[in-house]
Amino acid sequence: MTLSGLFRSTTAPRSKRRIGPTIAGLILVGFAVAALLCPWVAPWPYDQQALALAYRAPSPAHWFGTDEFGRDVFSRVLYGARTSLTVALVSISTSCLLGMVIGALCGYVGGRFDRWTMAAIDLTWCFPEILLALLLVAILGPGSTSTVLAIAIAYLAQFTRLTRSQIRALKRETFVEASLSFGAGPAHILLCRLLPNAIAPVIVVAMLTTGDAILLEATLGFFGMGAQPPTPSWGGMMSSGSELLFDAPWVILWPGAAIAVSVVSINVFGDGVLDALDVKKRERVH
Amino acid sequence: MYTSFRPLVWAALALGLVSTNAPADAADATFVLAANQNGTPVLDPIRASLVNLADKLIYDCLVQQAEDQSFHPHLATSWTVTPDGMEWTFELKPGVTFHDGEPFDAETIRWWVPKFAGTENAYLVEAIDRVEVVGPLTVRFVMKHPDANLLYNLSSGFMGIPAPKAYDAAGAEYGTKVAVGTGPYRLERFATGVETVLKRNPAYKWASALSKNAGPAPIDTLTLREIGDPSTAFLEMRTGGVDLVVDVPPATVPRYQTLANAKMQTMPGFGIFYMPINTTVEPFTDVAVRRAVALSIDRREIVDNLYAGKGKAATTFLLASLPEAKVDPKLELVHDPKTAASLLDGAGWKPGPDGIRVKDGKPLVVTLWTQSDTEFKRMTEVIQAQLKSVGIRAEISVFDTSAIRAEYKKGKQQLAVRSYGWNNADILDWFFSGERIGYPNISMWKDDKAEALRLKALKGSRTLDERIANFRAYHEYVLEQVPFAPIYEPVQTIAYNADRLTLPATIRGPQFSAPTVLDITVK
Repeated sequence: MTLSGLFRSTTAPRSKRRIGPTIAGLILVGFAVAALLCPWVAPWPYDQQALALAYRAPSPAHWFGTDEFGRDVFSRVLYGARTSLTVALVSISTSCLLGMVIGALCGYVGGRFDRWTMAAIDLTWCFPEILLALLLVAILGPGSTSTVLAIAIAYLAQFTRLTRSQIRALKRETFVEASLSFGAGPAHILLCRLLPNAIAPVIVVAMLTTGDAILLEATLGFFGMGAQPPTPSWGGMMSSGSELLFDAPWVILWPGAAIAVSVVSINVFGDGVLDALDVKKRERVH
Repeated sequence: MYTSFRPLVWAALALGLVSTNAPADAADATFVLAANQNGTPVLDPIRASLVNLADKLIYDCLVQQAEDQSFHPHLATSWTVTPDGMEWTFELKPGVTFHDGEPFDAETIRWWVPKFAGTENAYLVEAIDRVEVVGPLTVRFVMKHPDANLLYNLSSGFMGIPAPKAYDAAGAEYGTKVAVGTGPYRLERFATGVETVLKRNPAYKWASALSKNAGPAPIDTLTLREIGDPSTAFLEMRTGGVDLVVDVPPATVPRYQTLANAKMQTMPGFGIFYMPINTTVEPFTDVAVRRAVALSIDRREIVDNLYAGKGKAATTFLLASLPEAKVDPKLELVHDPKTAASLLDGAGWKPGPDGIRVKDGKPLVVTLWTQSDTEFKRMTEVIQAQLKSVGIRAEISVFDTSAIRAEYKKGKQQLAVRSYGWNNADILDWFFSGERIGYPNISMWKDDKAEALRLKALKGSRTLDERIANFRAYHEYVLEQVPFAPIYEPVQTIAYNADRLTLPATIRGPQFSAPTVLDITVK
């Protein structure tokens, strides 16, 4: 059973099947709002140290407890949402846009350009995403910008391949031939005819990959290669919390829960979007 | 059928429980090595770049250093030095034999000293011109120049004396498969990064006076395990997998305090945490800014909160127990945020609207490097907050511990958090010598007066007193110029299973080593 299977049944009525994605969507909106409004919502500055208050268990003053520097874990989880979600969204957007441009050109132009470009892109598939991202961050140096670039490159091949295969299949369709017979140029065909019809599966994959990107960002953060201190990221918080498992388990618990909830929500919501954008049931954009 | 086997099953289970709970042999023990001793690839003190507790148990030295940094006879029963410092004569202990039965005598020393030539450790004997055998148990070092540090070198773990025959016979394999010394333990098995198994030397009867027990060690088989992760070491201790953990990180001490059978013992530190300041890049070309940075660090806050009050606030570059650390109190770098602020004001760095100081429209933003170990990261984040409180924004970059040295060599750092482990004033030469710019001189500091003082201390000292005076003068000048900020002098904490072991009341020597192990008894 998939994770989304927990939330929907294929035999249930369509309205009930959308409850899971709706809840997931609301959770994601909640995370996004928290990330946007954290300077006003967070009860404490994320970097305010109070060493004498270190390792305090959750209490009315510190809902999620305090970390090894006496910093408020709740505030840091909120600010961590900003870092983790921003890095994941920006990197996947970059990867998706770049992959669509390259994939569309390769699929449409074909020939030697397609072969050489895809050979270069496919090189990134020789390595698992985490290994490739670690390698890139090691070369670029730690930090949020490097993490964004590393994740974007790690997932580039996926979007390029998908867009290319969509374009290659669509360019032989009769609506494309009709456009050509009316004298449409390659740019018009590509931008107005092919890409609008190829975009739905790419969006779904982008949605689902965002969950993976959050995990990858957290992994890089765990290895100390993501956002640098004192900027919080969920992975970085888990990394420091792992040392405190016996003494202050709440330091690792909350960012871990935030990662789990956000990734599950993205996957469930992505499944919902997949249902809603089912290309087989959609009419072509002519 | 079923009922007839049931008593047998219970008996087998009971036997199993007994056999897993009880030690295999009451005289066996397992220790976890200090993390900074993990990974030595070879148990050959002459060629090694890292020696660990195993080396110190396999090999004996001519001289033994005590915890108060004083020197005591070991394989050398006495020594004399000429007034000009050019000849040292050592009387050797009679009746000492190597693990392979070969005798230890003056010929051993004549063979041993030249073996350092061409190795990383050649500096230890660099001042010795030649070794003369005066008698079977009397040896004389004729020096190229006086070396007041000779006794320190001779007490170093790198100067444990191997057996000549075994050493020459094993060739390149010496230290991996074979290691023969005169120490209280002989090598049974060695796996780099995993464990070293040692067996008691039953013939041992020549311990130094630092041990109460002059005879064979009470522990028969001693296993030294290399466990890098403190949590794993703790779990091993809790489940009875190990009997003693040599160096418990301060953050882990409270966990050991929850164990009913665990006792802890502390001993003076063996190093300093400090912050080198790159003197060649703005704004740290200005000594006032360097001093302001050093005065911004609240060492007491670090000791009290990160280390639960254990250890000392470091105010100089050297261990507080060293005589060269007894400098003019006015030169000690202590927490003084008011003076720090006025120094920064005087240097033109005025507070900006967000609290960060500004000069000519440029904010006071500096880089602060650290390594990926938890202890370093924590300390660095506290220092970052302390610098911010005086208007300096420090941007942290965390580097992998194995990669940071290569980064230092590029010289792009401004501030960094580092530590060293060394109990001799010549560490000043190592980190601030103008001949070692880049690494290890991360401060990139080159100063004519400092160079003159350094050379005088290193090569112009004929006696120990002269050496102390010269190094103190060099140390004071370093403190005046502030190419670093001292932070913390840790204590070493040893945790052990009190149900299994009894430790002497005092840990002998500057580190946990053979003199202490010889006095550990198994219950």
